[in-house]
Amino acid sequence: MNAVEFHNVSKRYGRNTVIDSLNMAVEADSFTVIFGAPASGKSTLLRLLTGLEKPDNGHIIMRGEDVTAYSPAKRNIGYVPQSFALYPHYQVFDNIAYPLKLMGYSRQQVAPLVESTADRLKISHLLQKKPNQLSGGEKQRVAIARGIMKNTNIFVLDDPLTGLDFKLREQLFDDMREMQASLDATFIYTTSDALEVLMLAENVNILDAGKIIEAGAQEAIYSRPDHVRTMSLLGFPEANLLPGQIDHDSGQPCCQTKLFTFPVTLNQRANGHAQVRVGLRPQDIKIAPAADADLMVCDADITLVEDLGGELVIYLETNGEALTAMVSYAAGRALTEGHTRIGVHPSRFLLYADADGHNIGQGTVTNG
Amino acid sequence: MIRIRNRRNRRLYHLLLWLVVFIFFAPVLWIMLGAFKTTDGILAIPPQFIFVPTFDNFIDLATRPNVSDYFVNSIVISVTAVTIAIAVAFMAAYAFSRFNPPGTDLIMFLLLSIRMVPAVAVVIPVFLMYSAFGWRNSFLGMTLFYAMFSIPFSVWILKGFIDGVSKRFDETALVNGGSRWHVIFRVVLPQVGPGLVAAFIFNLIFVWNEFLFNLILGGRDVTTIPVSFSTDLYSDGGVDWTFVASMTTVYMIPPIMTVYLFQRYLLVGMTFGTVRGEV
Repeated sequence: MNAVEFHNVSKRYGRNTVIDSLNMAVEADSFTVIFGAPASGKSTLLRLLTGLEKPDNGHIIMRGEDVTAYSPAKRNIGYVPQSFALYPHYQVFDNIAYPLKLMGYSRQQVAPLVESTADRLKISHLLQKKPNQLSGGEKQRVAIARGIMKNTNIFVLDDPLTGLDFKLREQLFDDMREMQASLDATFIYTTSDALEVLMLAENVNILDAGKIIEAGAQEAIYSRPDHVRTMSLLGFPEANLLPGQIDHDSGQPCCQTKLFTFPVTLNQRANGHAQVRVGLRPQDIKIAPAADADLMVCDADITLVEDLGGELVIYLETNGEALTAMVSYAAGRALTEGHTRIGVHPSRFLLYADADGHNIGQGTVTNG
Repeated sequence: MIRIRNRRNRRLYHLLLWLVVFIFFAPVLWIMLGAFKTTDGILAIPPQFIFVPTFDNFIDLATRPNVSDYFVNSIVISVTAVTIAIAVAFMAAYAFSRFNPPGTDLIMFLLLSIRMVPAVAVVIPVFLMYSAFGWRNSFLGMTLFYAMFSIPFSVWILKGFIDGVSKRFDETALVNGGSRWHVIFRVVLPQVGPGLVAAFIFNLIFVWNEFLFNLILGGRDVTTIPVSFSTDLYSDGGVDWTFVASMTTVYMIPPIMTVYLFQRYLLVGMTFGTVRGEV
């Protein structure tokens, strides 16, 4: 069953169409991330979901009921806004208790619930403080605590970790996954950070220019994106996209790029598409590979090596094409700028039609 | 900014500043000293700076007929009018800030332009209107007039403050089940306290000092202190300077005390909330 469904929903501001005939389904009790670049319409989507905006067209179904015309209060959603929005005139305790107080709970009923949530988020020692006495990370934890206090089964989190340092975010990733599991509720989370998707999402909806271009389980979408924008957006570092052309060699389809020509298998959407973008994840490029008959190998120049601690990002140039590769620190610690060889397994190449951005096939090892 | 390094020059600079302050404050000081002098003392040539103070003028003031009425009228009319104005202005400012109706900028300009019109230009039309309504010499009439006159400036001040309160606060409350009234009074209102105080004080001082409309629209029942100067100024064929001095001294106490106690709010009010964080 779906907790939330959007049917053909559109929202315009003046002449600017922000949400464009959008269809989306969020599975009940899942941790679903809506992922898109900045200004792709994420916040508007959540505002439509929470009822803070009304759609120009379409219907929003929640728990099986059409809530398009419902006020925000009637939709019964837990909400963590993008900014902390902690009420400065309330203590932390009252900020966290706020949703329950609005639901008519007494202070006696609220106190144990606030204390257990605060304990879970490790903010029990802050309950008597005012928001202006808290650090950024503490404020965010209080905002999350308030967001999940509501007695409901749908929670909306609007990019809540933006601006926090990585260590703090990592801690909160664990906390949020844990909370979602223990509450047995649907979490709908928006972000423009690919890392958050990879670390948090059970399901992911890719939002681009006001439309959901792809949706499904996170692992499946990451390993085999169906759209070139997904390939480009979801992953770190950003995927390599090389221009290519579909050709036929002795009746077998192959793809020609400046670097490699490799055999491909095409799906039913490939008909008529000759110009493609070849997607290749940085993690799939091997630097100075050991001999392997299946690998496609070419010469390259390392222009820069970036040390991320456990991993190295390597910027390469080959045949006038810029590539990004990523290797573990152990595998790449001896690398320096200069000449090298790179290898790619052909099955790692994903083909996207230039015309509509959809996947039309992938590289393969053997002809036939 | 002037930077004065030399200590002697700095002292001279401060002395100059105190001199300017004294020049501006001298008339006030003179009238306050006069309140403690006899009639002859006030009019003495050369002026008396050292004298034996007397409280007879204040005793005379307290025992004069109508003086307590003037004070009661001033307090009741100004506090009631400004309270009504702030309540209306707060709601209006919230609406302008949050719903931003088409033409908000123009409406805001028109609102403030009411305060730019010279009082003498509107006093006759208002007099005729009040005569037609039968509102002259009534508390209701005076209170409504001053409330009307106080609303535009209050809307300006309060809109600046409400603009400074993030809409995310409103939205969080709405999604959590709060009504719009809850948002206005429980979420936004507590965050614009300094703005309310600033708007209240500015308008209170304006109404407290207003003379022309009380003279024209008012009457015996609603005479405020400024108008009482014109009616009780003369006695025995001359200006009653002891009355003027003692009445002025007492009359100045409430606004001076208010400004002294709430001067930090006046600063934020004058900047329409842009230095709200300083309070």
